[in-house]
Amino acid sequence: MSTAAEPGVILEHLFRHQAGRMVAHLTRLLGPAYLTVAEEAVQEAMLRALQTWPYQGVPENPAGWLFRVAHNSAIDAVRRNKIFGDKTDAMVVELSRAATVLPNDPGIEEKLRDDELRMIFMCCHPAIPHESSVALSLKTVGGFNVREIARAFLADDATIAQRLVRAKRLIREQGLTLDMPHGAELQQRLDAVSEVIYFMFNEGYAALEGESLIRQDLCQEALRLGLLIASSSIVTPSIHALVALMALQAARLSARTDDAGDIVLLESQDRARWNQRLIALGFHHFDRSMSGDHVSEYHVQAAIAATHARAQSGSVDWHTILELYDQLIAIKNSSVIALNRAVAVRKVYGAAQALAAIEPLDRSPDLRNYHLLLAVRGQFLLDLGRNNEAADCYHEALQCRCSEPERRFLQRKLAECGSHA
Amino acid sequence: MAQFMLLLYDDPSGWEKLSPEEMQKAIEKYTAWRKKAIDSNRLAGDVGKVIRAQGGKPRVTDGPYSETKEVLGGYYTIEAANYEEAVQKALTHPHAEYGNTIEIRQVYGT
Repeated sequence: MSTAAEPGVILEHLFRHQAGRMVAHLTRLLGPAYLTVAEEAVQEAMLRALQTWPYQGVPENPAGWLFRVAHNSAIDAVRRNKIFGDKTDAMVVELSRAATVLPNDPGIEEKLRDDELRMIFMCCHPAIPHESSVALSLKTVGGFNVREIARAFLADDATIAQRLVRAKRLIREQGLTLDMPHGAELQQRLDAVSEVIYFMFNEGYAALEGESLIRQDLCQEALRLGLLIASSSIVTPSIHALVALMALQAARLSARTDDAGDIVLLESQDRARWNQRLIALGFHHFDRSMSGDHVSEYHVQAAIAATHARAQSGSVDWHTILELYDQLIAIKNSSVIALNRAVAVRKVYGAAQALAAIEPLDRSPDLRNYHLLLAVRGQFLLDLGRNNEAADCYHEALQCRCSEPERRFLQRKLAECGSHA
Repeated sequence: MAQFMLLLYDDPSGWEKLSPEEMQKAIEKYTAWRKKAIDSNRLAGDVGKVIRAQGGKPRVTDGPYSETKEVLGGYYTIEAANYEEAVQKALTHPHAEYGNTIEIRQVYGT
């Protein structure tokens, strides 16, 4: 029998996270025009791991192993393809030197975080369209592959692949660099990065079914990227607000569905299932977001999430929440926000006023065929005892595109209309 | 107890489609299988080596058991009472789950 040492343990998501930081690191060494070379070198390192670790066991320092093999693979590619012409030898020396330092060393950790930060700032460059920025960030910094990104956004693989190709072409053609922008440009870029992170989080948070694991990973990745910026020197109060908002919302992820996969509305959620660690993290960043005078939409949304998180069961401070929604609408007037505000109106002033508040939304093109508008109206009508009209709303909502748990929820509501009639 | 070799053939194009997360999951499954075999004293001798040749020239087998596009990834030598048990043991390995081939050969004269 073998006396082989106990196989090493692989940290959760180690490959995904290392893939992101290794691509960022190698791209800084090779230059953004050779992003694909960096990606291939990292892929090669992971394949090697897959082909050797199952037989020889997991090495002592799995991250260090991957790091070294990825560098060697990049060196091979530089030599083989001669992409750097007469600078090939210099690049090989540079890569070899970088291969000798290992992750987990505190000095290099900071440098790797800086590489990741630069990478996400480049991914969100204004020259790259929003959709491509999101895909590219997930691919290069997040360590997701095309299929996972496609699954997360309910798109097909070819669409995502095309967005990535387009983004990489723009990086080459426009000669984008990993230099951090300064001054006003830095502020603009931070806004763009925040938007991408917020979008990522929302996509993960919005769906309740299907590939739930990949969706949760999306939320986690958005939170991780937010924290990456929050712990850097360029952090602003708005970034803290964004992190607070994501942490407080993510804390409720597992309480939003019951064991049967059915929707549990906020008011009926088991607060014991809220993640206290994330709530604490959220409040920590919420406090830090208070410095400065600028109130961003993230601040207000974080304040709403904080009001919910602070409440004991059944004692939510809806007056405060309604005020915050008014403030949010003053910053950003969107019909989705107006719809959510109406839910707070119902709690404070009753269903009749709430119904009046959503009347103008009927004409909003954004909310056409939006099942939640119909579901909300159905609830208001049900409150008012107008069950037949409520039933019409739920019927119509069921014709819209929605997830399976949402469909079951709407059907339960529809049954309620009948039983009260 | 008789010894059997489990020869694991990869279809490399299949591995390339995996994401980092999925690759890690695969390694974890393989490692768990290997650990179980070690713990139950069924892994005989050397736990196996990767036979893949370096320098971009993988060794391609053209034997009767596997398709030529597959590459011998690695092997394990296990102990089993008979061929049937060795087959059962091989079936618990995650390799086949990933659409790959496992070849089982009894080792004589050990």
